[in-house]
Amino acid sequence: MTPLGSIASAVLSVTPWRLERRLEVDAKRAALTRIGGAVGAMVVVGILLLLTGRNAFWIFWEALDAIFGRQRGIEGVALRAIPILMTALGVALSLRMKVWNIGSDGQFLMGALAAVGVGIHLDGPGWLVLILMAVAATLAGAAWMLVPALARAYWDVNEIITTLLLNFVALQLVTWSALGFWRDKEAAVIQSTREVPFTLPGLPGADSVTVALLVPLAIAAVLWWVFRSTTIGYEIDTIGGNPRAAAFAGIAVRRRIMVVMLFTGAIAGLGGMLQLSAPGAQAMNAGFSAQFGLSGFIVAALAGASFWGVIGGGIFIASMFYAGIVLQTKGLSVYIIFAIYGAILTGIALGEIAARYRMVRRGAEDREAENRDADDRGADARDADDTAVAVEATAGDEATQGARP
Amino acid sequence: MALTGTDTRLSVEARGISKSFGGVAALDAVDFELRWSEVHALVGENGAGKTTLCNILAGIYRADAGQVIVDGSERDFRSPAHAIDAGVGMVHQHFRLVEPMTVAENIHLGWPETPGVVSQRALNERAERFMAETGLHVDPTAKIWQLSVGEQQRVEILRVLARGARVLILDEPTAVLTAKEAEELFAVVRELAAGGLSVIFITHKLREVLAVSDRLTVLRHGIREITRPTEGATANEIARLMTGEERVLDVEHRVVTGDPALELRGVSALNDRGIAALHDVDLTVRSGEILGIAGVSGNGQTELAEVICALRDHQAGSITVDGADIASASVRAVTDMGVGHIPEDRIGMGMVASAPVKDNTVLHNYWTPQFSQGLTLNRQSVIDFAKQIVVEARVQTRSVFATAGQLSGGNQQRLVARREALVADRLLVAAHPTRGLDVNAAQEVRSTIIDRRDRGCAVLLISDDLDEVLLMSDRIAVMYEGRIMGVFDAADADREHIGLLMGGHSLSEAVA
Amino acid sequence: MILAIIENAFLSLIGSAIPASAVVMLAATGAMLGERVGVLNLGQEGLIGIGAVYSVIAVLSWGVESPWLAMLIGMIAAAVAGLIFAVCVVAFRASQVLVGLALALGGIGLSNQLGTNRNGTPIQTLFREVNPGGVLDDNDAVSAFFFHDPVVYIAYIGLPVVLWFVLFRTRHGMNMKAVGENPAAADAVGVSVTGWRIFYSVLGAALTGAGGAYMVLSFTPTWSPDIARGRGWVALAVVIFAGWRPGWAVAGALLYGSMISLDTTAQARGWGLPFMGASDLSFFLSMLPYVVTLVAILIPAGAVKLGRRVRSTAAPAALAIPYSREER
Repeated sequence: MTPLGSIASAVLSVTPWRLERRLEVDAKRAALTRIGGAVGAMVVVGILLLLTGRNAFWIFWEALDAIFGRQRGIEGVALRAIPILMTALGVALSLRMKVWNIGSDGQFLMGALAAVGVGIHLDGPGWLVLILMAVAATLAGAAWMLVPALARAYWDVNEIITTLLLNFVALQLVTWSALGFWRDKEAAVIQSTREVPFTLPGLPGADSVTVALLVPLAIAAVLWWVFRSTTIGYEIDTIGGNPRAAAFAGIAVRRRIMVVMLFTGAIAGLGGMLQLSAPGAQAMNAGFSAQFGLSGFIVAALAGASFWGVIGGGIFIASMFYAGIVLQTKGLSVYIIFAIYGAILTGIALGEIAARYRMVRRGAEDREAENRDADDRGADARDADDTAVAVEATAGDEATQGARP
Repeated sequence: MALTGTDTRLSVEARGISKSFGGVAALDAVDFELRWSEVHALVGENGAGKTTLCNILAGIYRADAGQVIVDGSERDFRSPAHAIDAGVGMVHQHFRLVEPMTVAENIHLGWPETPGVVSQRALNERAERFMAETGLHVDPTAKIWQLSVGEQQRVEILRVLARGARVLILDEPTAVLTAKEAEELFAVVRELAAGGLSVIFITHKLREVLAVSDRLTVLRHGIREITRPTEGATANEIARLMTGEERVLDVEHRVVTGDPALELRGVSALNDRGIAALHDVDLTVRSGEILGIAGVSGNGQTELAEVICALRDHQAGSITVDGADIASASVRAVTDMGVGHIPEDRIGMGMVASAPVKDNTVLHNYWTPQFSQGLTLNRQSVIDFAKQIVVEARVQTRSVFATAGQLSGGNQQRLVARREALVADRLLVAAHPTRGLDVNAAQEVRSTIIDRRDRGCAVLLISDDLDEVLLMSDRIAVMYEGRIMGVFDAADADREHIGLLMGGHSLSEAVA
Repeated sequence: MILAIIENAFLSLIGSAIPASAVVMLAATGAMLGERVGVLNLGQEGLIGIGAVYSVIAVLSWGVESPWLAMLIGMIAAAVAGLIFAVCVVAFRASQVLVGLALALGGIGLSNQLGTNRNGTPIQTLFREVNPGGVLDDNDAVSAFFFHDPVVYIAYIGLPVVLWFVLFRTRHGMNMKAVGENPAAADAVGVSVTGWRIFYSVLGAALTGAGGAYMVLSFTPTWSPDIARGRGWVALAVVIFAGWRPGWAVAGALLYGSMISLDTTAQARGWGLPFMGASDLSFFLSMLPYVVTLVAILIPAGAVKLGRRVRSTAAPAALAIPYSREER
């Protein structure tokens, strides 16, 4: 029991309740506590801003009103949701395997860079060039993941630092391209690459959002299906759950880790191309990625393992992102968004922990346990018409033996 | 055998101790009295609450209710350090040693009497002086990972004694020892008690209780059944108190002359550290027989099982299943030949604790046409199969969608054993299949294995529980340091001979 | 003659690398402190920012005139951030990866926000070079190699020596390593895993904060947004390269620093290559520090995989794993 745990128990000891660890964490409950943590963190930040004299709640409310009250606002969110969703899907896929891809920003940039390279050098029908751009971006994103993937899969080098360092390299490469080898020499003031002359077709009825919005939705659907109904999804989940059990089941763990990591890079890379093919964003500069990778990471952390959760979380974070732009006009800098991200991520991490505990009424353990079973049975009712038997007593010697620290 | 002391003053007294985990009571108002100068055996099945009680006495857990009185004054230990300050020290079943550090460093870890600035040499000298005082010896400069399990245990005991513990708690100390090492431990324990210390000796082996203890306490389902002097107690009586019932599996042994299902010729292999673990192993297992491998854990059994199941490469020799060489076969190919494997580490290797029960039931055959067509995995057939296994193997679970991690150890093993039995048409490799299980679960797992044999499957049974090997096997092979020391028919098996071979004596020495 | 030129070039390269990577050195030492007791703090980047911005605030807004005091204020600010991190991951056992990234993000955001109005304002309260008897000559490579401000000596000599002594020659260090290798073992002998982990996380955060403070009080004496520019991540890589041994961190930091000074020297002198103009070469060189760092952390892993197994370079076994006595 930790000191804070002791304090918590001490506080609770005057009440008829006490804190207890759950034997099992329900996925739905964990999702709720994560969201709760994120919202709680935003409220804390809001209060802090309130103390410094800025009514963030009111500003935020105004911003949301501005977003969802108008088509331009909704499209603004959608435009930002595309890159965030793409990087988030990549991260979420790697998280299924307990791999932390923190380099999606770099993969995103490299994808966009490859797309620019193809777009400004190839002549041909627009649709063909766009397809080639997408292919190049996908390959470039995967290639950017190659070293971290090989190092992780075959040399057991943790991927967090390797993927992250490559973000800086990618950023320098993009800067080089914008100021050096692909610089737009006609527009002398703007430090960016030349512009790709093609854009994706717009969505019917939209002013600025293109069909690119459909891509993350399609990828989410495909991933959802893969993990629901294929042996590949089963194998990836098994590796994520217990790599030794995966080897026991004859899964080529190292090769699979490498391939999945390359896929996560490819998705982020394709995201770069999608961003580039939006009207008005057809050239690259050093600020091309407004840290979309980090936003995507937060979305994936919020969504846990659920790909549909990524869609919801992506829209939420994209709204915040867009609201942040509105906030800037109210005297807050763009940096405050990062501080809020930090708080949200902390809230998510604490929420994840909260899901593992429950309050128990003293002296009523047995009844509590029964109630809990009843609850859970209700939750599982959609799943099964099962022979429900009470959780068998696991406590005591056997369990302690199992827990080799 | 018992050395009943005349000192009846209490060193430790526990009154009305209760503790529950996850709403399930592990201890229910247990009383316990420990005297000075006695060895007190704490007996019970797995899950009876022995370790939980001692963890509370040693400050690992805090009781939900009840009092602990040490040497006359009531204590509320908030940590193991508090307990050791009061003179209560515990040696856990899983050692709490820092592997990359030396013996001397481990003895001095966290000890206020260690000098603030120290050299390795000073630590070694202090450790040696202390070993001379207690009569327990280990090379102080050796790193923990280089030591045998018995030596590691000695380091643990040294560490506890060094801090002036007057009450020593040993949790299943013989589980990992050879017969000879266990005898040495008994001698040490008796000497300590003769010197005035109290020793709690947790075990479920009745022979040990009778051999080492002055008094004994039996726990069952978190309740104290009895505390009595060991003198005059019989094994049967204690067993009845432990289990509450007597159910003995009667296994008929047979002699089989059929075709060999598994043949190993001159097989050698390395362990994870790159050190030779199997030397020139020859083994034959025929269809319809159980070949038991007797031996203390860590003598190459794990590697043997993994080599057969293609989880580990072998350096030399040949392995054939039904006459086909599996030298370069994949895990999947070997499994498809009808080889099932109950791995010794069921949580670490045999299942995915965070995944649903249903996914765990197909871990070893999800790729077969029964469950998958091309890339797609047929969810409904997996669910149906899982329900069938849960019912047949009497796995107690809320639902096949619940995670496997929340099953009790017994239910996890029922699931794994049944799953592998269904995979095993030709050969079942069962490594320590009943380790850590209560009597009922163990009986069911054994029945599953015997049922496989009776249907013509070959079984390789690995166990460090000699009683289990003797009970189940049609033939018995003894393993020591990666070598097969001898193979016997069940009818010719002699417990004492096998025990000597397990300790590294050659066959001629054993017979002589 | 040629030898002398090469020697001179080498000395001046390392000479300018030393201050360039003093930040990395301080942050790497800070990170190593935490990691030795099993706490992985990915938030180094944010801590550098926080340490730097509070030193800037101390000097520009609070009128602090001593660089030491300004640095102390930066360290305290970083320590507070480190305490919040430590409470989340040690006491509440939240994911070290998530909260560490949160600290990186939050620290960058917070420091940039606080620094907004102070962009580019030069800072006059600086550390002075140690210059015994006025022997320092600006053009002399030998002087450039040996004479720096006092923080540099602390970072490269003082801290590694002290940390080495504590880790390998004291009871305290033995217990520290035990907490990082096997917390259950440390706990069993009465070492407070929670207490030590929180203490060293906070101390480590303070050191990283000192690195940030050093940036604005000596190296680049002005505030600019995103001040750490990846140095926090490089520091984490240096710890891996060093195999958690304080002395080796010096080599790792200098490796990174010499890549930085190679870049700045090339830019200043307008170096070019036959196939690459000066500006292109400079862009290329500015990627090198990160690439070289990446390669450097692959070296120990590769050495292990290729059979040269070195046990002492392995990460603390319990790194990033939360500990709870009653965990089951």
